[in-house]
Amino acid sequence: MSSNVRHTIGAGRGGGFWKRTPAYTPSIVDAAFSGSDALDEKTIFGSKEQGSSSSFQQTKSKDAKVDEGMSTTQQLQPSSSPSLSEPSSLGPGSFENQEKTPLHHTTQNHQPQQQLAVVSASDKKTQTSSKFYSLLTASNADIEQLRKLSWKGIPAECRAEAWRLLMGYIPINRSRRAATLQRKRKEYGDWRQQTFAKGEEALDRTLWRQIRIDVPRTTPGSTVFQQARMQRSLERVLYCWAARHPASGYVQGINDLVTPFYHVFLKEHMEPGQTFDDISDSTLDSVEADSFWCLTKLLDGIQDNYTHAQPGIQRQIVKMRELVARIDSKLAVHLDAENIEFIQFAFRWINCLLMREVSLENTVRMWDTYLAEDQGFAKFHIYVCAALLLKWSADLRAMDFQQIMIFLQRPPTLSWSTKEIEILLSEAYMYKCLYDDSPSHYSGGRPQAG
Amino acid sequence: MSGNDEYDYLFKIVLIGDSGVGKSNLLSRFTRNEFNLESKSTIGVEFATRSIQVDGKTIKAQIWDTAGQERYRAITSAYYRGAVGALLVYDIAKHQTYESVIRWLKELRDHADSNIVIMLVGNKSDLRHLRAVPTDEAKQFAAENGLFFIETSALDSSNVEQSFQQILTEIYRIVSNKAIESSQDNVQPGSGAQIIVPSVDDHTKNAGGCC
Repeated sequence: MSSNVRHTIGAGRGGGFWKRTPAYTPSIVDAAFSGSDALDEKTIFGSKEQGSSSSFQQTKSKDAKVDEGMSTTQQLQPSSSPSLSEPSSLGPGSFENQEKTPLHHTTQNHQPQQQLAVVSASDKKTQTSSKFYSLLTASNADIEQLRKLSWKGIPAECRAEAWRLLMGYIPINRSRRAATLQRKRKEYGDWRQQTFAKGEEALDRTLWRQIRIDVPRTTPGSTVFQQARMQRSLERVLYCWAARHPASGYVQGINDLVTPFYHVFLKEHMEPGQTFDDISDSTLDSVEADSFWCLTKLLDGIQDNYTHAQPGIQRQIVKMRELVARIDSKLAVHLDAENIEFIQFAFRWINCLLMREVSLENTVRMWDTYLAEDQGFAKFHIYVCAALLLKWSADLRAMDFQQIMIFLQRPPTLSWSTKEIEILLSEAYMYKCLYDDSPSHYSGGRPQAG
Repeated sequence: MSGNDEYDYLFKIVLIGDSGVGKSNLLSRFTRNEFNLESKSTIGVEFATRSIQVDGKTIKAQIWDTAGQERYRAITSAYYRGAVGALLVYDIAKHQTYESVIRWLKELRDHADSNIVIMLVGNKSDLRHLRAVPTDEAKQFAAENGLFFIETSALDSSNVEQSFQQILTEIYRIVSNKAIESSQDNVQPGSGAQIIVPSVDDHTKNAGGCC
C-alpha cells in the first residue's frame, strides 16, 4: 500500500492489452483457482472445536496433510460456480521431507535464514509456496513480484510475513527485518504501558466504554476472540489506535478490521494441535503489536472513512453508484425507481470492508488481493462491492424496495466458498480493467492511461 | 417478508439510543421473533418491517434500526426524516444510557418531524438484580417530556410486542384524526403525515419513498 509501484497483475506488464478486450479470461480462471487453504484457518478460528493447524516451522505428518487436502477439496465442491475443473493445486501437499525456514521473527533470531524447501515439481501448491519462500527469504524482497503472486492468494504458511511486507510494516531488506520488528514492538509496548499506566480511571471514558461494549461482540462465533486474554488485547489495540488518531477516534467496525491481522499473526505461532491457550503472553504481545501497526497502516489509507460524517465512505458510495450505472444501467434504473439509495446497503459494505458479509477466512483471502492491488482497500474494494451487487442484478430487478433491502442486508455470502470469493475478485478486477481510468467514470476525470 | 403484502397504512419508525442497549434485538424480536446473544454492533442503519392490525386496519411498520455510536449520528439522523415514530431505547441496568436520553431527544428535535411520536423504552428488564434506573423515575421523566413509556426485555420477549403495538396504535389514532380534520378543513396533511399510504389499489407499489 505504501509502495509507489503500480503494476499489472495476471496480465503481464506494460501492455495494458486487456483494456476493453476479453483477454482477461485466463487471469480470471487463474485467480479463481489459486488454491487457498481456508480449511486450516476455519479449523482454528471458525469453529468452537480445537483443531490441528499448519505451521510453517513444523514438519507435517503425511496423514495429516492428506486429510487436509481431501477436506479442502470437499469443501470447495458444492460451489455453484461455472463449470470449471477442480484445481490441481488442491491436492495433498508434500511437505513431509522439508526443513522449513521460520519466516516469523523472534528477538533471538536475528540472522537471515536460508535453505529453501525442496519441492515436488508436480505439486502446484508446493510450487506456489516455494515461489513465496524465495521471495520472502531473498536478501531484498521483490515487492512487485510479491504483489503479483499474492493477488492469487498467499499460502497460509507464508501469509504473515507476506502481509508484513505488503503492508510496508517491515523493510524489504531481510537482514533489517528482525531489528525493525523488535523496535516497532517495543515502541507499541512502551506506548501501551504509558497509556494504561494510570489504570482505567485515567482513560477517556466514552472511548473506553464504547470499546468495552464492542469487543465482546467482535467475531462472536470464534472461540479465540471470545477468550478473555484475547479480548483484553483487542481492547488495548483499539484504544491505543484511537488515542493516537483523534480525528477519527474509534468507530464501530474498526474492531472488525483488526481481526484478520490477529488471525494471521496468531496462526503463524500455532503449531499443529495447538490452540490459543498455547500462545504465550510474550508471543501475544508480539502479535498484538504487529496487529496494531498493521491496523494503523490499513487505516492510514482509508482514514476519511471514519472521520466526522465519514466523507470517504460517502465518496466511495457515489463512485460505486456511478460504476454500477455504467456497467448495468437496467439495474441502476430499477434501484432508482424503487427509491433504493446506495448508502442504505453499501454503507456497511464499505465501513467494514465486507467483513460482515463474508467469513473471516474469506476476508483474509480477499486481503491477499487487496494488499497486492494498488490502493486495494480504498479503491479496488469499490469494484468488489459493485461486482457483488451486479451478481444479483436479475434477482434484484424483480424485487421491490423492501425485498431489495432485506436481501442486500443479508446476502448469501457468509457461506461462500473461497472459490466463489476468488471469482468475485476476478470480476472486480475485470471491471477495474474496463472502467478504471475511463474518463467519464469518475467525475474527477482521471487522465486516461496510455 | 414479501413487499407485495397489502396494508392500509405504512409508518416509518426509527430505533435510537446508546450503543449496546439492545435496539437490534428488540427489532429482531418484534419482526422475526429472534434474539441473538452474539449479535454484532449495527453499522449505519438496518431495515426491517412487520405488519400489525389496529381497528381492523393493517398497519405496516417500516423500522430503521440505527447505530448507537456518536460517529454515526451524521449518517443515521438522515433516516429520521419522514419518521412518524421513534423508540428511544436505554438499558435499565446501565444508568449512563438513561442519562443519554436527553441528548437523543435533542437529536430528534433537530432532525425529525416535530410531531413525531416518541416512546421511551427501558430494555433488558430481565436484568432485575442489576437494575440501575428505577421504573418510576423513568416513567415520570417520560410523562414530563410527553413521551410514552414502557419497559421491555428482548431476551424474554416481555412487552416487546406491546411496545410496538402501542406506538403504532398511537400514530394510527393521530393520523386518522388528522385525516378527518384535513378532509373537513380541506387542508393538506402536515409533514408528519406525508408517508401515510392509504389502501388504494397501488399497494404493491413501493412506498419506501419516504426515506
